[in-house]
Order: sequence, then structure tokens, then C-alpha cells
Amino acid sequence: MREEINEMIIETRGLRKYYWLGREKVAALDGVNLGVEAGEFVSIVGPSGSGKSTLLNVLGCLDAPTGGAVFLDGEQVDYKNKRSLVALRRKVVGFVFQTFNLLPTLNAVENVVYPMIFNTREKKKGEGRGKRRGEGRSESRSESRSERRAKARRLLERVGLGSRVEHLPSELSGGEQQRIAVARALANDPKIILADEPTGNLDSRTGAKILELLKRLNDEEGKTVVMVTHDLESAKRTGKVVEILDGRISDGRLDGRLDGRLDGRLDGRLQ
Amino acid sequence: MTAMKDLFALACRQLGRKKLRVFLIVLGIAIGVAAVIGVTSLGEGIRVQAVEQIKASHDLTTVAVSAGVEQGTGSVTLITDSKLAAIEAEKHVLFVAPFVKDAFVTQNNTYLAVTGVSPDYRRVQGHGLELAEGRWFDEGEGEGSNEVVLGYGVAKRLALVEGLEVGDEFAVKIRLYGEYGGGTGGEGQGQEGQGWGGHPKDKPAVFKIVGRLKSSADEHDNQVFVAIARAKELDEKEAYDGVFVKVDDPAFAGSVRARVEGLGLSAHSAQDVIDEVNRLMLAVTVVLGFFSGISLVVGALMVVNTMIISVYERTKEIGLSKALGASDSDILKMFLAECVIIGVLGGILGDLLGLSFAWLIDAVGKPFLVSALCGGGGAGGGGELGLGAGLQAGSITAVTPEILAVGFAFSLVLSVVSGLYPARRAARLNPLDALRQI
Repeated sequence: MREEINEMIIETRGLRKYYWLGREKVAALDGVNLGVEAGEFVSIVGPSGSGKSTLLNVLGCLDAPTGGAVFLDGEQVDYKNKRSLVALRRKVVGFVFQTFNLLPTLNAVENVVYPMIFNTREKKKGEGRGKRRGEGRSESRSESRSERRAKARRLLERVGLGSRVEHLPSELSGGEQQRIAVARALANDPKIILADEPTGNLDSRTGAKILELLKRLNDEEGKTVVMVTHDLESAKRTGKVVEILDGRISDGRLDGRLDGRLDGRLDGRLQ
Repeated sequence: MTAMKDLFALACRQLGRKKLRVFLIVLGIAIGVAAVIGVTSLGEGIRVQAVEQIKASHDLTTVAVSAGVEQGTGSVTLITDSKLAAIEAEKHVLFVAPFVKDAFVTQNNTYLAVTGVSPDYRRVQGHGLELAEGRWFDEGEGEGSNEVVLGYGVAKRLALVEGLEVGDEFAVKIRLYGEYGGGTGGEGQGQEGQGWGGHPKDKPAVFKIVGRLKSSADEHDNQVFVAIARAKELDEKEAYDGVFVKVDDPAFAGSVRARVEGLGLSAHSAQDVIDEVNRLMLAVTVVLGFFSGISLVVGALMVVNTMIISVYERTKEIGLSKALGASDSDILKMFLAECVIIGVLGGILGDLLGLSFAWLIDAVGKPFLVSALCGGGGAGGGGELGLGAGLQAGSITAVTPEILAVGFAFSLVLSVVSGLYPARRAARLNPLDALRQI
């Protein structure tokens, strides 16, 4: 069972992100204050261009904000420090994309091993010296090549893809591919999973299963999940829904319209 | 780095995705490497041939010593008896064989080049001085030893022109140049070509031909040999014109030579000729190699081009990798790993092609080269070094392990260096922009 820690694992303060489209300034994020507790499953909803994907990219350290602060796992993200961004992407967050984004030349296991390759180095700094595997979350880095593969197989099993691990993505269905992508996101034992429309390219039944999988990871392993979605049906099933409109977290004006479908879950922490 | 294996496995996978492209690029580099190997091995082959020829026809244990002229002041150090004794006392010196050069003119004004030699001189020259008829002269000094042995060519000429055979006596004028001829026999100092207003002085004498030599195919064919003591007496010189120093081992020829030069004399050995050949062939090989290396530049540009295209094609993949935690240097390494593989393949294929190029040069180029070198000289041709004859025997290309190693290294370094720019470009891509690319 998931332990209840009332600690903000994600926090943004006055987050702003401006783009220039020609001479026009576009505010993708315009002062977002968001807090996500460790172990929460949050979905971010909003129309296209509302800034929800931008928010996810900023949280995932892929994009730098124009202003404001982001705290991940208790520490402020320094978007100017490339090295620390890489470290955060490696250890703290795991990405799941709408279009799966698997490497076509690699089979399922290899796709899951892929991010581990980038994360082998720091082990030398003596952090994971003792063979204390399993329990310590981010310390359990795979040691050898075969161990990495074994871990990838375990992860694939966990996402329900135990049998077709040697297949190339092109030989698998969309749902299966997305399962591989979820396993890949878990490769380096991140605390946070950022999912950008993970069900967007799937039919509703398959999409529901992927959502089920993410919920299970959230429930059973305490992974914090932040999911961007169009699909209110999906959003309804997550612990918390955040609505973004014009780069701001909606103050609930849409509550009425969404109310019936969202089951009143837009909660009070939103501003 | 533990992930090195994964990195290379990944690179292999990436390259496997575009086999034809990789094959073409590897072939391009390999041809460049092979061209360099072919040319270099040709240069090396000819060098080895030339050196072998020199070693066969020259005695590497002999150091030839002549009077030393000091640079700048122009003062001359002559080979006197005391210098000779000093040389003989050096370590590793077996014996010294001094000689004196003179000039005789016969009654019919035939000019004869005369060398006054000791028995040791004959030992130095070895096979070069063999009697065809008669005997060597008495080594004794004084008037009684006016005996000469004729070189092959001289004997032929004297027999033809003057009807002289072994056993005959003939009168000559000994032509004395410079102030040595002044009859003083004293200091043995001064500059050549001066004194008596430039006129040589002739001194009459009668010699008996006691033997003639087989052809030695060198300058000895045109020499008249006389006992060294007699020669010195005749030309009234105190110093020797040269000394051959015999060393016990070719390895010490250099050090003996250096010590002789320390005495103020000048010294040469066959090693000088070998060094000269080596220097010349090195220069030739480097220049040829440089030009054939231009094809390597083409190969390098191919790598740059292919890798840049590859970066474009894989922009999204690069963005994804970064999102999954790849650092700039991870991306750099991924691309460089591919370049390393291309370089290794190019090196291996280049070495193989190079070997076949060398074989081809040998098979096709050798007959051409041999006919070119031997053509002018007819039966006795082949140039001064007898290169033509040697070529027929051996191979004109020599592919040494060093050449292959250098060819391999070229390929590897070149493709990695060429990949550096595209790889850096890939590494610096903004992850989000790259990910968004369609």
C-alpha cells in the first residue's frame, strides 16, 4: 500500500513561459502555481494550446521557463545548469509520450535498457557500493549488462508484456508499444512519471488499460504521476485534476461545466 | 565505463540500419588507405632493394677516411703516420689500409691513375682485387720494387695501345702536382693546386708489370697498383691520400667513424650511402604518400557528410535520448562510437585492399619498372646501384606491419576526427526542439 507523505514532490511558483511567434508574444505559461504531493496521480486538462504540454516539458526539464521557480523532489531546478538537468531527467523523472517514441531498431528489452545506458556512470562515486538492491529506490542501478537486461525484463513483466520482449516495436500493437514506453520510463526508478497524452494515440479500450497500468504504478509503487490529457473520462479517474487555460491554472470557472464529468475533483489547492 | 559495450552494440545496430551507406563510406576510406599503403609499400620496397644492393656491393665494416678540411678556415688535416697510428689504436679497429694516389704518364702520353697500396688494402677490398695473371709486387722498399699490378681496364688498354703484357717493363714520367713535388719532402702542409705557378713536374722512372687483375667492375679497373712505400717515396709525400679502416663489426662502423672525425679527418662508410638512400626514399615516399593521402581527405569528407545527414535523420531520436536522460557527452559518444566502427572497418578493409594493391603493383608494375631501369644499359645496365638486377630478383613492394598499422590508424583517426563536428552538432541539439521534429 502506498504510504501517505504530505510532501510536495513537485512545486511551481509563478511559472511563466513566453514564446515569440513572429512578433507576437505568446504566454504558454503565465504564472502557474502548482503543487503535487509525493504519490499523487494528477491529470492536467485543458484545450489545445492552453500550455499543459509546456508545463509538462518544463517539469520534465526539457524546456526552460522564462520566469518563476520549479522545485522537484525538494530542490529548486536550476535550468541554466545543464548537468543538473541531465541528472534530474535521468533519476527523478520518467517520460511517457503520446506517440510512444520507441527506437524502431531496438526490440522491447533493448528499448527499456536504453535509458539505463546513460545512467551507469554515477555508480562509481560509491553511492551504491553495498549490494543493497530492491529497497533503495534510485540506488538500485543496474550493474552489468546482463543485470540491466534482467531488470528490463522485470519491468516489462510488470507492465504486462512478459512474453513478447524480443519483438521490435513495429511488430507490436499500439497498446503494447505504450506498455514498453511505460517500462522504459521506469528504467531508472524515477519518483515521477510524466505522461504526455499517453492514451491519445490509442483506442479507448487500450487507452483505458494504459491508464489502469499508470494507476497501478501509482497505487502499488507510490510513483507520482502527472498526466496531460484531452480525455476528461481519463482525467476523472485520477486523484486530482488540474485545468489549464491560457497558461494559467483555471480558477474553477469551468467547474460547473466539468463538474458532472469530473466528479467534483478539481480541488481547493488550485488557485 | 560499463555502458561502453552497450554503446557499441547500439552503434552497430544504428549502422546496421543503413548497410549500403556504411559499406560505401567504409569502401571510400578503405580505398584511400589502400592507396597510401600501396604507394608507401612501393617506396619501402624500392628502398629495401636499394639498401640490399648497397650491402651486397659495399663492405659495411669499412670506414673510408680522407683528409679533413675544417669548415670556415679551410685548413687541412692530413693523414699522417701519427694519425694513422691513432686510428689503428681505436677500439674495434681490426686494421688500417692507407693508400696513396699518384699519376703516371707513359712515353706515349697515356695517363695512368696509380694507387699505392698495402697488402691490407687488398684485404679490405676483398673480392674486388683478384689476380688474373702474374703475382703481386714485392712489398719491399727501394729502387728494386718498381713493380706494378695493372687493373683490368688498364691492362687491356696498355696491351692494346702500347703492346705491354705482364712481365714487360715500361718507362713512365711520374707527374707531381703542387709543392709536394718540390723535393723538400718536409712539412707536408699547404694547399693543393698551388706552387710552381700551377705547372706539374714530371719525374722519370721505369716499372715492371708483374701482374694484372680480374675485373672488379669498379674504379679499381682503371688503376695501376704499386707498393705503398714505393708510391710514397716516388711522389715525395708525407701524408696518405686515404685510409680504409676495417672494423670488426658493422655495428661499430658509426662510432669508429665518429672518433676518426674527432681526429679532424673526414670519414665515410657505406652506411652513409644507405642513410642517403633512406633519406631520399623517405622523402619520395612521404611526398607520394601525401598525394595519395588526398583520397583519404575525400573519405573523411564522406564521413562528415554522412554523419551530418545521419544527425538530421535522427534528430528526433536524439531529442528522445536526451529526454530519457542522455547528456550531451552521451550523444557525442554514441555518434563517435559509430565513427570508431566505421574507422575500424575502413582500416581492416583498407589494409586488405592495400595488400592487394601492393600485390598488383608487384605483378603489373614490376616488369614495367625493370624494363625502364635496365633498358638503357643493355646487358650491363641497371643503374649504378644495380637496381634493375635486384628488382628482377625481389619484390618491389614491401608491406610491413608498420605500414599496415599506420594505414589502420589513419582510417580510425580520420573517421573519428571527421565525426567530431557532426557529433558535436548532435550533442548540442535542444532536446525539446529535437523531439518535436517530424
